[in-house]
Amino acid sequence: MRIHFNVEGGLAFFPNLNKPVTIDVDELPPEEAGELEELLDTAKFFDLPKSVGEFAPGAADYRRYKVTIENEAGDRHSVQFADVSDNPEARKLLDFLLAKISPIM
Amino acid sequence: MCQRISHHHPIFCILPPYVLSKISQNGTDEQRAKALQTMSTDSTMRSLRLTQAPMRQPAVLTRGVPGEGHKHRTIYTALNTSELPGDIIRQEGAPPSGDPAADEAYEALGATYDFYWQIYARNSIDDEGMAMKASVHFGKKYNNAFWDGQAMVFGDGDGDLFNRFTISLDIVGHELTHGVVADEGQLQYFYQSGALNESISDVFGSLVRQHLLQQTADQADWLIGAGLFTAKINGVALRSLKAPGTAFDDPLLGKDPQPAHMKNFVRTFEDNGGVHINSGIPNHAFYLVATNLGGYAWEKAGLIWYEALRDKQLRPNSGFQRFARLTLRNATRLYGSAGVETKAVREAWKQVGVNVSYS
Repeated sequence: MRIHFNVEGGLAFFPNLNKPVTIDVDELPPEEAGELEELLDTAKFFDLPKSVGEFAPGAADYRRYKVTIENEAGDRHSVQFADVSDNPEARKLLDFLLAKISPIM
Repeated sequence: MCQRISHHHPIFCILPPYVLSKISQNGTDEQRAKALQTMSTDSTMRSLRLTQAPMRQPAVLTRGVPGEGHKHRTIYTALNTSELPGDIIRQEGAPPSGDPAADEAYEALGATYDFYWQIYARNSIDDEGMAMKASVHFGKKYNNAFWDGQAMVFGDGDGDLFNRFTISLDIVGHELTHGVVADEGQLQYFYQSGALNESISDVFGSLVRQHLLQQTADQADWLIGAGLFTAKINGVALRSLKAPGTAFDDPLLGKDPQPAHMKNFVRTFEDNGGVHINSGIPNHAFYLVATNLGGYAWEKAGLIWYEALRDKQLRPNSGFQRFARLTLRNATRLYGSAGVETKAVREAWKQVGVNVSYS
């Protein structure tokens, strides 16, 4: 399983940062892979709609996150998340992915 | 009374409030904590003493009454979650919380309010005394700050490459100005109208800081977000109005992508169509007007820009050319067609490649 993670937006544009990052779950250490799969489960990722959370009119400088899961068969499920939402489980997944692709994000 | 409250060191009970206030700002952590405790307890004691007299509002605990020229600030902490707004950490009129991010946000909101009120007689974001809210400690090591449509939200930064986002007054002014733009012009947040939206936030964010520091156009650094990067990043700020494209050049971040001229306008789908990129062009136009005229930039250049923002002809989908024309129209209205101010505006837009002819 592979995860494509893309962070968009923010209060400045940094050319080297807004590029999708791919995480190959099979290459993660077992505990991390386990943690990630549990986060996907708890967030009910595959049942989520295409877009989670939205901003009020006039909002600015916010970030958006696109998470695409690709399984071995090549099937994909993509969800776009706003920085704000009522979904704390989804946020835990995002925090995990953000920590994975740090130092910047 | 002091003997009964065992957590006070006796000395703190006999110190007058203005000394406690100084300790709360400048002492060691322990001294500051004790001074803050004393101040918060003391104000309650003072209130009780006051209420023994005929019924009067305790001065310390008075809440702002809606009206002109009054601030209504509330700072929340999101406690490193993404749940907004979070818990209240400081309300209007309250003493410093001791949390640097919260206290910085509180002061910066105040400075922004004061700027708009003192210079343009604008009563808060919506010119109707709207309460100003900010949430700090959003997310985990969150390297960003944003305007959510109602309030400002600040991350702590990762502490490694980015400092906390409340550290920069112009960024706070920038975020609040998004609220002003939403109230006045509702510039759509993509492509040229979005870049204009961004630029107006940079311009007034910068003016908020210049005003607090009482800097003339020549003295100002014209940077947005100076102090945000740690020493590990090769860069001075997020953006420069004086020299777009030079604010940073770093292996991790890349190079500042901002153009200073229309010939280098960036066509992209990223960043909502380049709203933080192409804002460099109107940013630079403002810088040129301000430095051409000299003195305090908020007095003439800022006034022209502010009037253009409030102009009925500014539409949600207006781009640079429409806005440039409105700055010229308002400069002419304020200073006459032969005024140095009007000439400076025309010259500035010409220098950045935006055509402001009336046709």
